[in-house]
Amino acid sequence: MTGNRTDAGVDTGIERHEYDVVVIGAGGAGLRAAIAAHDAGARVAIVCKSLLGKAHTVMAEGGIAAAMGNLYADDNWRVHFRDTMRGGKMLNNWRMAQLHAQEAPERVLELEEWGALFDRTADGLISQRDFGGHRYARLAHVGDRTGLEMIRTLQQRAVDLDIDVFMEFTVTELFRDPSTGSGGTGGRISGAFGYWRETGRFVVFESPTVVLATGGIGKSYQVTSNSWEYTGDGHALAMRAGASLINMEFVQFHPTGMVWPPSVKGLLVTESVRGDGGVLKNAEGERFMFDYIPEFFKKETADTIEEAEGWYTDKKNHRRPPELLPRDEVARAINSEIKAGRGSPHGGVYLDIASRRSPDFIRRRLPSMYHQFKELADVDITQEPMEVGPTCHYVMGGVEVDADTEQSIVEGLYAAGEVAGGMHGSNRLGGNSLSDLLVFGRRAGHNAAYHSMRTKQRPTVSAEQVKAASAAALHPFEVEGGENPYTIQTDLQDVMQRLVGIIRTEAELRDSLAEIERLKERAKRLSVEGHRQYNPGWHLALDLANMLVVSECIAKAALERQESRGGHTRDDYPTPDDGWGALNLVLTLPSDSDSVDLKHQPLPVMPDDLKTLFEES
Amino acid sequence: MSTATTEAGAAPATSTTTMTVTVKILRYNPEVSEEQHWESYQVTAEPTDRVLDALHKVKWDLDGSLTFRRSCAHGVCGSDAMRINGKNRLACKTLLKDVNPSEPITVEPIKGLPVLKDLVVDMEPFFAAYRSVMPFLITTGNEPTRERLQSQKDRDRFDDTTKCILCAACTTSCPVYWTDGQYFGPQAIVGAHRFIFDSRDEGTDQRLEILNDQEGVWRCRTTFNCTEACPRGIEVTKAIQEVKRALIFRR
Repeated sequence: MTGNRTDAGVDTGIERHEYDVVVIGAGGAGLRAAIAAHDAGARVAIVCKSLLGKAHTVMAEGGIAAAMGNLYADDNWRVHFRDTMRGGKMLNNWRMAQLHAQEAPERVLELEEWGALFDRTADGLISQRDFGGHRYARLAHVGDRTGLEMIRTLQQRAVDLDIDVFMEFTVTELFRDPSTGSGGTGGRISGAFGYWRETGRFVVFESPTVVLATGGIGKSYQVTSNSWEYTGDGHALAMRAGASLINMEFVQFHPTGMVWPPSVKGLLVTESVRGDGGVLKNAEGERFMFDYIPEFFKKETADTIEEAEGWYTDKKNHRRPPELLPRDEVARAINSEIKAGRGSPHGGVYLDIASRRSPDFIRRRLPSMYHQFKELADVDITQEPMEVGPTCHYVMGGVEVDADTEQSIVEGLYAAGEVAGGMHGSNRLGGNSLSDLLVFGRRAGHNAAYHSMRTKQRPTVSAEQVKAASAAALHPFEVEGGENPYTIQTDLQDVMQRLVGIIRTEAELRDSLAEIERLKERAKRLSVEGHRQYNPGWHLALDLANMLVVSECIAKAALERQESRGGHTRDDYPTPDDGWGALNLVLTLPSDSDSVDLKHQPLPVMPDDLKTLFEES
Repeated sequence: MSTATTEAGAAPATSTTTMTVTVKILRYNPEVSEEQHWESYQVTAEPTDRVLDALHKVKWDLDGSLTFRRSCAHGVCGSDAMRINGKNRLACKTLLKDVNPSEPITVEPIKGLPVLKDLVVDMEPFFAAYRSVMPFLITTGNEPTRERLQSQKDRDRFDDTTKCILCAACTTSCPVYWTDGQYFGPQAIVGAHRFIFDSRDEGTDQRLEILNDQEGVWRCRTTFNCTEACPRGIEVTKAIQEVKRALIFRR
């Protein structure tokens, strides 16, 4: 039934399905989780908002970070672990970063086994490319369409295994059975509620476990590389079900998004351009990144053009070019150049590979970028530099999970991929997302399956719960003459972009929280026209509630954290602070309130044998 | 404002001229009427805006009920294939200035699949064809304990057909597919080609047998519509020819 609309076609009543594991989201993490749960013997359903294969993973360009050592034998999980922790400014959950570095190579090989296409070395091994923050060339890739190949391979695997897929389906609520479960209030997960986007009809899933794999939150910002699905659904579902979020103040602005023409502003320009030799220049033609090497990375970063140039061919005897600093550093540098009036005509800076690599090399290594600029901006990147600027790309924050099992604090509720928090700390390295999806998607799927099958008494969904969920979903139809949800979404994007962007201050963050409160009030009175059949206005009205709560989390945590670290830069607290560096900010949504709660929580402490990895160099 | 890079930029040097564009959309809402009908909307746009942007303007400002699929918005996910001025294209990769914006721009759903609402078609028959060619690697024997090798040359052999984004632009531009819903259509053959010419795959015979079916590759009349429609520049017709040749060679 894979790829099928599993529509029972019931005209009356609510469609019901029973599974052992329900996976929400069909990107890399969701598909990998579903495959793992299936392999463990569970009955699995994948539920996704778009058609199968269109999820955000498809847009990933650069590659999958894994210390396979195919190009540099010195690479191993310890180096990858160290790079990841340093990239996240040590705020990562160390155990997640360790598991990720250890298991990523196996996950890449498994993908190859399932048929994924990779670029190869002369020996026929999987080739690996350079990326920011990674000490060695480490990204397994296929041209600049790695995400497409990854999602297609996983999708094909799911077709092979005949896993049920509910496409164009949105989940609006998770259920818990208060009569079950150990510890905590509210009981364990018992299922999920949602609607077919096409018919608007409701469906109840009964399942002892749910895996959230819904991706990120980028649609809350005006300039973003994220697609419409990225409305923080999983983040919000988890909170409403009683789970907690961490690291929400850390939002990654990718340094290189397109800035022109206006209609494609924010569209991603892959980091591979820099990994393959591209450099950043300001309007004066100056290679400015040498002026922005932070103390933290001085030891490993080239400080002259000569040394940087030498690195591309001889990595042993040269330090890396500053263009390949982690993304947060590069994004801030670009932001500063533009503010200082050294920007390009359309408000970006120049990314130049044309003067540095042959047209043939560029077209072979970066075909998608070549076409993207040719077709959308009428720029030939083999001849001219690109104009680029920061774009909201990724949220490091997400559902707080157990590092080994990916279970949240709610029994039966799991999260993997971008919707989970902890793995990337305050900043994610490029290439660590695709590997994250595979490593933790698989772990979440396995653990959910085992958990579900060990359940002796299946939790149940009550009639009252279903009634309440359907009433909540239909609420937007009840208000007449209210505001159009698109207007509120646009206003939210404006607030987040203006007040909770790359550089933040206390005053602006306070303003943003006040604005978000006003938007929440307006959202209560919005109205949608028409009926339930394929009604995009209604769909947005429901997604908007998620965007609002997630935006509140970001702003609240950003206001609280009085330091600058990774994807969180405070103009009024411009440096990192050791005290804050030992803390996670945990956000929850109390059941009797529509305002989020914030508390401090110490970071898990890294064992001494791993700490020694940071003493050398 | 301390945040916005977006606002910090100088005024655009390459100034564009805002224009008014008429978008004529084939609407359909089975809750209201069984008939499709044309509706025209006027939107203000830049020449460098895409048809997708114009559709968004209609939806956000003029008629919130307009329904269409879109996702990544730059030609990678393959959600927004539609017939624009009579040709299958991705709305997110079609700039207004390239489709003669001085005249009304017509937008219709892709042909050959049942229309559900406005520009949204039922993709299930398309996915069924995709699934029928066994779109997954088939290998036998022990799972490799070491990394399996593949030469760059072998990998290049099927590079073109792995670029497919399942947008259905090829299949729904095919006159054979329009008249014969049983035909697998170009995408399924492209999907099979990707495995038939993969040096690691051992399912070639099974796949070729499926494509040798009377609804298989022999229905292709080489009209090249598919190649022209493919937003990824895949040489679809060539791939189909290669599969035909493989079948003949096998005999």
